[in-house]
Amino acid sequence: MKRIFIFRLTLLFVALFTSVQLWAQVTFKAEAPLLVGLNERFQVKFSVNKEPDSDNSLECPSFEGFSVIAGPGIATGMDIQWINGHQTSNYSRTYTFVLMPQAAGKFTIGSASITVDGKTYKTKQIPIEVIDENAASQQVGSSVSDAKSSSQKSKEPAKAAEQAVASNDIFLMFNVSKKEVYKGEAIRITLMLYTRVGPPADINSFSMPKFNDFWAQEMPTRNDHSRAEYKGRIYETYKLTEYVIVPQRTGAITISPAELSAVLRLETQSDDRNIYYGRQERYVTRTLHSAPVTINVKEFPANAPSTFNGAVGSFSMTSKAPEAAMSANSSNEISVTISGSGNLKFVTAPKLTLPDSFEVYDTKVVDNVRTSAAGTSGSITYTYPFVARTAGEYRVEPMVFSYFDLASQQYKSLSTEPFVITVTDDGVVSTGGADSSRPYADYGGRMKQLDRDIRFIHTDKLAADGSLLFVLSPIYWLTIVVIVALFIVTYHIMRKRIRQNRNVVARRMRQADKVAVQRLRLAERSMHEGNRHAFYEEMLRAMWGYISDKFNIPVSNLTKETIREELYRRGVSASDAEQFCQIISRSDEAQYAPSTESDMGEVYADAIAVISKIESIVKR
Amino acid sequence: MKVLNNIIKVLILAVAAICSVRGYANEGVVEAQSEWQRALDAYSAKSYTEAKEAFEKVETMGYATADLYYNLGNTYFKLGQQHERAYEGGELGRAILNYRRALKCDPAMEDARYNLDIAQDFTNDAEPLPVGVVSSMWSGLRGFMSSNGWVSVSIISLVVALSLVMLYLLSDKIVIRKSAFFVAIALIFVFILTTALSVAQRTAYESSSEAVIICNNIISVHASPDNTSKVIRQPSQGVSVYIIRTHGDWTEIEFVDGEKGWIPSKSVERV
Repeated sequence: MKRIFIFRLTLLFVALFTSVQLWAQVTFKAEAPLLVGLNERFQVKFSVNKEPDSDNSLECPSFEGFSVIAGPGIATGMDIQWINGHQTSNYSRTYTFVLMPQAAGKFTIGSASITVDGKTYKTKQIPIEVIDENAASQQVGSSVSDAKSSSQKSKEPAKAAEQAVASNDIFLMFNVSKKEVYKGEAIRITLMLYTRVGPPADINSFSMPKFNDFWAQEMPTRNDHSRAEYKGRIYETYKLTEYVIVPQRTGAITISPAELSAVLRLETQSDDRNIYYGRQERYVTRTLHSAPVTINVKEFPANAPSTFNGAVGSFSMTSKAPEAAMSANSSNEISVTISGSGNLKFVTAPKLTLPDSFEVYDTKVVDNVRTSAAGTSGSITYTYPFVARTAGEYRVEPMVFSYFDLASQQYKSLSTEPFVITVTDDGVVSTGGADSSRPYADYGGRMKQLDRDIRFIHTDKLAADGSLLFVLSPIYWLTIVVIVALFIVTYHIMRKRIRQNRNVVARRMRQADKVAVQRLRLAERSMHEGNRHAFYEEMLRAMWGYISDKFNIPVSNLTKETIREELYRRGVSASDAEQFCQIISRSDEAQYAPSTESDMGEVYADAIAVISKIESIVKR
Repeated sequence: MKVLNNIIKVLILAVAAICSVRGYANEGVVEAQSEWQRALDAYSAKSYTEAKEAFEKVETMGYATADLYYNLGNTYFKLGQQHERAYEGGELGRAILNYRRALKCDPAMEDARYNLDIAQDFTNDAEPLPVGVVSSMWSGLRGFMSSNGWVSVSIISLVVALSLVMLYLLSDKIVIRKSAFFVAIALIFVFILTTALSVAQRTAYESSSEAVIICNNIISVHASPDNTSKVIRQPSQGVSVYIIRTHGDWTEIEFVDGEKGWIPSKSVERV
């Protein structure tokens, strides 16, 4: 119970406090036109929203450069409103001075001060420009006052009034912030009504131009009313509408005129007859056209980086790195925020290049873009979700965003940091479908050919001229001749050995005695063993074989006669030939006949002797 | 011994002759090497225009090597890729021309064949006529090596064959004598065959009518050597043709499918 009470009390205090605060907000404002003509009277108003302590507490500025014609006139207003049982009240007290400039130039109305509830409040200083309209516009044409004086004499006041409104008394004009822009650069375009005949009483029709080739957004406009000088004359200006437009192509683009059909209320000095209506009002309908505006949209400079996508303005980029470690088949994301001012609505997402084993999903775009009279500003966040399919350590290349910087008239590139992502195996072996335990299973275990390009140049040292053809050239013939000559020379050197080697016969002849000696040795062994039969057999084989090898005669063709003839032909003496044949005969006989041991030794010795003799004769 | 001395004298003379032939070019070698290196560096730095100039300078110094033509082809190809509208400055045709020249110098150069294949993807070459089995085998065998490659094989086989003949004459072992004899016979055949291949390659190299179309994009082939005659075909740059004859400023070409026509002489370059 007590608690609730305290709570209520607190509420009460809060409410009281805020209401006091609201009540206490005293404003003291000064109001004056910023631009006046030299012969023009104008009002300066100081208004306060709470009753001052006394009117005497108002301290006026000196109004230097101006003559005070009247004032201060004091007016008090009270405005009480009930809305849904809620009461609001507005109090105001206004002190009005009527001033007249003394000379053309720039002047300042100083601060006024007033005391409310014992506190002193001050207004801001107001700069006022005084221009001498007549001096500037004598050649320009009729002024309103001229029109008025002429209409006084006219018999047809309405027509006169209509004529009285010259085309330069009221007109529409586009105020364009820039006329030379790059494609994508925002332009503020404001349609202003300039009038010297007061605001239009009514507007019949109003058509804004279609902004072809532009992206256009209308700005909320307060009914801005001020005064402006144009060609030396002072106009009341009304801001009709305001757009931010962004050109979408290059070249000269003309904005077609806006059209306004306005009803003007003109006051005419009436004739003397009409004594009750000293002033007559005439309504005149006028159709106003603004002058067409041409905006020159320039091409971007040629050296655009490849990542440039038409972004114009001044930007900064921040990025949120992906989680550095993730497991395979889990999701991860990189986000990039581009903020700044410029044609943000036309900015395209910077390209994210991930290794091949990553799957990238659609980029999410969150924009927080405001369009104000100054152009478009805010930020856009791009989020790139992706899933890693295979384990490993991957380097994600930096993402690059390029834009054309209007301040420096240069391309600028922003890039993120390179990210490193470590993907760990998720350990899940999926059943069926792509086998996640086998990396790159998607391509059937085969490498995918991503692209083809020419191979790199050969960087070996420069070789000799390849167009020199060796075959049939003089050096070729020389080489062939040298090779053949070398062969012939070698042949010449080796000719003795070659002749010896010429055929198998020569070789056999050379070896005949060796074979014979071998066989005789076999025979000798048989002799020592006492094997008569074997001894004589070996002896015969040695003798026949020796002749056969030596003279290249097959054994089957040999007889004692042919041996004798052959030996004789080779220069062996008849007695030696006879002895040779005798040894054969003795061996033939002894082979099967019983004989003594000494016979064998005798035959053996004779055979060696005779073969040695023949060898020594036939050798050469 | 006297004969051996004479042989050595002849050999020394031969070596000296070869060296003097090489020697006269020696002063230019250093300059060519530095120019070559400059071209390689420029290519690596992607400044292809400079690389092209340097490679072409090396070529004018008389270094018509397969590597040079291959690198020049690559440079033209890269230049073409850099071109605003890809290859529309005739670079593709020049790239193909240089790959073909590289292959002419070294028919076994695999990289050049690969790159030529890639470059020809961008051309509208005609379908080649079918070739007889024997002639395609012969030209296939011939194309296996350059003339200089074949001749080196032939010389080596000659030297080995003669050495084996010597071995046959000197050895007294029957097995060695027999095998040396048969291998020597086989090698003599190899010598004759490879010499023939080398000579054939040389003939093909010297009397080649192979050419490549060089133009900006496509060119009109006329039925006769004047501009008013009918346009029979519009080959792109880089299309392979044979030059038949010339007539004034016109050249008659034959496409690989046998069709003939006339184009301005400046639009075709011999490989």
